[in-house]
Amino acid sequence: MMGIKSSVRFSVYGFRPRKAEFFTPGRSSASLPKTTNYNPFTSAAPLAVFRILFGLMLFGSIVRFWSKGWINELYIQPRHFFPFYGFEFVQPLGSYTYLLFAVCGLSALLVAIGLLYHIASISLFLSFTYIELIDKSTYLNHYYFTSMVSLLLIFLPAHAYFSVDAYRRRSLLASHIPAWCLASLKLLVALLYVYAGLAKLNSDWLVHALPLRIWLPAHNDFPIIGFLFNYAWVPYVFSWFGCLYDLSIPFLLWNARTRPLAYAAVVIFHGLTALLFPIGMFPYIMIVTALIFFSPDFHQGVIRKLSVWLALPVTFLAVHRTYQYPVFRERILLGFLSLFFLFQLLFPFRYLLYPGELFWTEEGYRFSWRVMLMEKAGYAQFTVKDDAGHQTIVNNTQFLTPLQEKMMSTQPDMLLQYAHLLRDHYRRQGFINPQVYVDSYVALNGRLGKPLVDPTTNLANEQDSFRHKPWITPFNDTIYGF
Amino acid sequence: MIQVNWKQLGFACAVVGTLWACSSSNTNDPSPVTPTTSTDQAGSDRKAMLTNLADNIILPSYANFKTRLDVMVTKADAFSAKPDKATLTELRQAWVDAYTEWQKVELFDVGPAEQYTLRNFFNIYPANTTSIDEYVAAGAGTFDVPASYPKQGFPAMDYLLNGLGDTDDAIVARYTTAADAAKRLAYLKRLTAQMTSQFGTVYTAWNTGYRDTFINCTALNAGCSTSKLVNGYVLNYERYIRSGKFGIPSGAMTSGTTAPATVEAFYKKDLSLLLAKTAHQASVDFFNGKSVKTGQEGPGLKSYLNALGVKDSSTGTQLTDLINKQFNAITQQLNTLKPDLYNEVRTNNAAMVETYTQMQKITRMLKVDMTTAMSIIITYTDNDGD
Repeated sequence: MMGIKSSVRFSVYGFRPRKAEFFTPGRSSASLPKTTNYNPFTSAAPLAVFRILFGLMLFGSIVRFWSKGWINELYIQPRHFFPFYGFEFVQPLGSYTYLLFAVCGLSALLVAIGLLYHIASISLFLSFTYIELIDKSTYLNHYYFTSMVSLLLIFLPAHAYFSVDAYRRRSLLASHIPAWCLASLKLLVALLYVYAGLAKLNSDWLVHALPLRIWLPAHNDFPIIGFLFNYAWVPYVFSWFGCLYDLSIPFLLWNARTRPLAYAAVVIFHGLTALLFPIGMFPYIMIVTALIFFSPDFHQGVIRKLSVWLALPVTFLAVHRTYQYPVFRERILLGFLSLFFLFQLLFPFRYLLYPGELFWTEEGYRFSWRVMLMEKAGYAQFTVKDDAGHQTIVNNTQFLTPLQEKMMSTQPDMLLQYAHLLRDHYRRQGFINPQVYVDSYVALNGRLGKPLVDPTTNLANEQDSFRHKPWITPFNDTIYGF
Repeated sequence: MIQVNWKQLGFACAVVGTLWACSSSNTNDPSPVTPTTSTDQAGSDRKAMLTNLADNIILPSYANFKTRLDVMVTKADAFSAKPDKATLTELRQAWVDAYTEWQKVELFDVGPAEQYTLRNFFNIYPANTTSIDEYVAAGAGTFDVPASYPKQGFPAMDYLLNGLGDTDDAIVARYTTAADAAKRLAYLKRLTAQMTSQFGTVYTAWNTGYRDTFINCTALNAGCSTSKLVNGYVLNYERYIRSGKFGIPSGAMTSGTTAPATVEAFYKKDLSLLLAKTAHQASVDFFNGKSVKTGQEGPGLKSYLNALGVKDSSTGTQLTDLINKQFNAITQQLNTLKPDLYNEVRTNNAAMVETYTQMQKITRMLKVDMTTAMSIIITYTDNDGD
């Protein structure tokens, strides 16, 4: 990306271009039929506004995270961490974690104002993703979403318009960008919603209104509407509305006629989830992200207001140029994007390759936009022993934080990682070939608890892999659907 | 585009309809989890529950304990004024009464008790006798650091009242004719003063405003009453009843090696079972919302879970019935034990281990089945989820 300066070409217009005039001498406009409805270029304003809001939102998230003391609590205090399979090289950084967060926060801010955009967007992606890869127990779908958006932003010309970079280097300034730049972001958002909706097409969610039937009565002291949460039909309304919302909202946002109503639904839906559930920044990120579906005029208006407020010169906005990638580079980028979206389309369905109930085994559960689908609680008591007569029952708080223990006790891959950690620890304590057994007890969506792991399996000898874990006890129940 | 949307909705409905048909056609399906009835409005009123728990259980239990504690302090003063076998016997009895009453308040690890870590100043055992002797000799020493917890409270008094000699005469002699008798009496005085002061802080806070804070914080997030109360209640059962009173002494939790000297009230010997039974029964009564004043059941965890309609899907049995059934099994098991758990560990340890195993079962039910049904998270952190 270092050679970006020389690789960008512009066409200059002295007046506001009509559709056909977007085609520039860099590419043969004659080869494209002027009658087509498809416009390969689009206003740069929506992407610029998104860049600002996304950057500020992330910066705010980092500040919030820091001020709550969570950096220390989640990334420095824990004695052990749960790296992702295949990403074991990602190590906790001790007190340098603060530096990592500082870099991430600064990068987010730089992305927002569009200063040193290329470096900033790369370092934002790397630092944010590194943080999220340190410990599985902090995994959240919206962190994954943030990582993926940051990855896309590296390749998108979000700094071409209304950025400090473009202000300092007017040759960069462009009012229009290739249409796929914005479309790829919209596609990712649409994918998130639709997949989240598909994941809700299961019998627990639709037929039993679970887990909302457990979660909503917990809010029956909510002002004014709280009493409603005690009625049996209310969780059904929430479940079905939530499902239909996820499946349809991208299309309703895409369509100009339904957009205002759809956006109102976005605000109400995510606002309500923010009030009812402890899901942090996610609702706000989605409320802001949904703005990318709005028209260029809308975003142009936002930018106009902002520049009046910032007292920016009129010439800074009144540009009519098109940002273009060199043909070869654009082809590579489009190829990369195709692979990226192919991955995004297929990866959430990897669970089909595993036997057993997905919610129970969680084999293929993460990175699939499965949001708020389960009320799962567990309890895991480990016994470590050896043939020389050593035996001990493990006090989990000696090794794990409460959050780690909570996550570990319901997720088989983490149970195994922890068992290996115990095996190694007690080997150092003088156990000879320690054997690790777990007495686990897990309750899923209101079913009574039962063992998640075969108590007779010596987990010290089991290896983690992408293959099915045969020591997970069968669920003995069926949840129909996706 | 509108048409496309309707198609989308139609598709979703079709899929959903199919799912519904599939799942309802299977009559043997064990999955209808909790029944699809509405939550009972009155029974799920957490303010009513918290009010009952505060006014009819927590506050009267604290008041009862205060009475016993005050008597014990009076008897300790009487013993200090005139140490002899008669005053020792009276002080011992007052100590037994207060220690037993303590078992009925230790489970309220919420509000001021949690804030000031009340348990740490009352019942961390086994007592560290070496350090106690050092404190006695020094005539001073802090009571506020973790290392000082096993030097104070009921276990330290156990040592001072029951553990200083084989006979009462020998014990009284340590307070009368021994060279450091005055220092020992002074230490006893410090212990009772510390207990009065620590409990006074919590008791005063409950009676000067915290009660209202408690009943009005009705949300279920980590910072509010129900969550704190349930977390403390479950923790108490798991760590201080199951592990402390049975798991550790019986060796069920540690290498299989027994540790009889770690029983509660080790020096008194014949009190440990009574303390364990009292603590267990207090947990049972608290779960059932049983008033300390009238013995009548009121709004509590049981009625709340029943209002939510929590049942075992396969049998239709209420979760609260299953929990009470297991509580009963433990009570029965406790009834098979003899009063001196130190002896039980040495001569009848299988029964001790069995008690632990039974308690392990209820721990899971309380910690997983109960909390998940109530939507309470067992954790002391307040992180985001999704």
